[in-house]
Amino acid sequence: MNSIASRFASTSASAAISRDEEENQVAASMWGSTGGFGNLGQVGIPSFEIPRVPDPTNFLRMHTDDRNDPSCRIKIQHGTTTLAFRFQGGIIVAVDSRATAGSYIASGTVKKVIEINKYLLGTMAGGAADCQYWETYLGIQCRLHELRNRERISVAAASKYLSNLVYGYKGMGLSMGTMIAGWDKTGPALFYVDSDGQRLKGDLFSVGSGSTFAYGVLDAGYRWDLSEEEAQELGRRAIYAAGHRDAFSGNTVNLYHVKEDGWKFIGNYDVTTLHYEGPGNVPGAVPGGYGYDVRTEGLHSRGAATVA
Amino acid sequence: MSIMSYNGGSVVAMVGKNCVAIASDLRLGSQALTVATDFQKIFPVTDRIFLGLPGLATDVLTLKERFRFRVNMYTIKEEREIEPETFAHLVSSTLYERRFGPYFVEPVIAGLGKDNKPFIAATDLIGCLTLPKDFAVSGTASDKMFGVAEGLWEPDLEPEDLFETISQTLMNAVDRDAYSGWGAIVHVITPDKVITRTLKSRMD
Amino acid sequence: MECSFGLVGKGYTLIASDTNSARSIVKMKNDEDKIKVLTPHLCMAYSGEAGDTVQFAEYVERNLRLHQIRHYTELRPPSSAAWIRRVLADSLRSRKPYQVNLLLGGYDTSDDTPHLYWIDYLGTMAKVPFAAHGYGAYFALSTLDRYHDPTADLEQGLETLKRCIEEVQKRLIVGLPKWNVKIIDQDGVRELEI
Repeated sequence: MNSIASRFASTSASAAISRDEEENQVAASMWGSTGGFGNLGQVGIPSFEIPRVPDPTNFLRMHTDDRNDPSCRIKIQHGTTTLAFRFQGGIIVAVDSRATAGSYIASGTVKKVIEINKYLLGTMAGGAADCQYWETYLGIQCRLHELRNRERISVAAASKYLSNLVYGYKGMGLSMGTMIAGWDKTGPALFYVDSDGQRLKGDLFSVGSGSTFAYGVLDAGYRWDLSEEEAQELGRRAIYAAGHRDAFSGNTVNLYHVKEDGWKFIGNYDVTTLHYEGPGNVPGAVPGGYGYDVRTEGLHSRGAATVA
Repeated sequence: MSIMSYNGGSVVAMVGKNCVAIASDLRLGSQALTVATDFQKIFPVTDRIFLGLPGLATDVLTLKERFRFRVNMYTIKEEREIEPETFAHLVSSTLYERRFGPYFVEPVIAGLGKDNKPFIAATDLIGCLTLPKDFAVSGTASDKMFGVAEGLWEPDLEPEDLFETISQTLMNAVDRDAYSGWGAIVHVITPDKVITRTLKSRMD
Repeated sequence: MECSFGLVGKGYTLIASDTNSARSIVKMKNDEDKIKVLTPHLCMAYSGEAGDTVQFAEYVERNLRLHQIRHYTELRPPSSAAWIRRVLADSLRSRKPYQVNLLLGGYDTSDDTPHLYWIDYLGTMAKVPFAAHGYGAYFALSTLDRYHDPTADLEQGLETLKRCIEEVQKRLIVGLPKWNVKIIDQDGVRELEI
């Protein structure tokens, strides 16, 4: 941890040294065999090129904070709904697929579930690149753990590894709100990890701008003894709810189910199709669209007095 | 966060052959929260003129009322229906009256004038009139609509083709805008009737 | 952290509001009635800036009463809503605008229709089948999208309302233990226990 702190406290002279190191690594990775993780073999934590300005953290914030300054140069994508919950039949992980930069919908096909390995899933909320990079990195570390110890890493350990890692960068502008879900010796396990360094074990989490809407559906329908079909339907319905009400969530739902033999991808569902037609012939789903106006079409609240 | 995009919403108008079309989305939001999905932003002024008012929803409602009042007064005093050009200037001057404390809307006007001459106009929030001869866009998805409309619009479209063009323009633009969408409505004004259709669009 | 809900059912409108009155970090009162009865068939839940809320609610109440005295008839819900909205919209461009958010619930006895209007301090108005103000909107609108039924009888309607309140009590950091619920139907306005 000290090495990181001292690296950022450094003057331009030592920053120049780190630049030389970086250049060597760039040379190695240019051969294309290191997949962006070119410096992994040399140090525990990858090192990054730091802008040569007196206060790099502030410099970055100045150009990326679109909440306080919508006209900032770099708009890091955010606005998401992700959820995961534990139940009798394992863990359901469901996410939306929208990426926004300001009011612009930059993509509707983002993969916000990161398949860390066969037994571990990570979700993505906050900075897309931060989540993608560090959860992929976590995957590498989990594999190394497996090779060294001839045993799969526990979900608790994996999430703790990630938590400690991002905590090392606290205050430097990393932005992640992630859930690590998986199956280990202890059974299904679910952790919430964020870039503040918070790490929580729990049965039900939702993260992102649309999380409150997802909770609204989730809390009303959640029970531990949900059947597998009911649980999948609840996850799908909750992401739809957030997609409908939150401007920064939507497009499609990606649904995963974690069981004893690893995770399984259940399906990709278009939010608008869910609105008008529902999920289709899926076990556990009630026929018909999820949409309020679709569901209540033709119904009215006129009082009984007029009937007589 | 800009006042103009607080509630979200977009309007587009297009010129066809002896017809005009005007279309809008139906979202009413409170920043990221979608409050209602049936919020009308286009209002009939006469049988042949429609006014679209994207912008701050409170001003949309207030201006709807004010324009209805002013058009009614015009009709009574002049004993004839207002022409689109005249109405455009009425819109412009009504907005400029509030030059130093503006209404936060950027209206789009579409109508048929004398001899069924197509007319479209747009103004900024303090009443600067522009009179395009092809199409006019306004609202949170205006930049996106410009792009699609430049690609799709062509001169002398018949009502059905104009309907298709304006619908595709609106829907495809709005699907790339977080603050617009949640349903859409299209009016095509032809010499003998107004065709109004609601579109089945993305609801997220 | 004020919170209010409204929903319509078969022949009635329900309005619910929390009963907290806070100043800074202090809870001054926990049984404040923040739903004003405006006319025999019209109710208004108000929230927002302390002082503005009650002043505005009483102003509206007196003016609607004046209308009734002058015209020997109560103003119907859509007209009342339009007038109240306009007062707020005009106030927005005054020196000191009223910062009050409203849910207006009414029952139109002339065509037996329940009405619900969502109005914010800017003068934005929407006629809706269900509505929420405050942080409750972020939690309960999805619940209402899922469970609200415009043809629900009173028992089912209250059930749905309870789901919303429970969700807010479960997830919102500030607990809102007590709620005030009013129903508006053909018989007028009544308070309900939940």
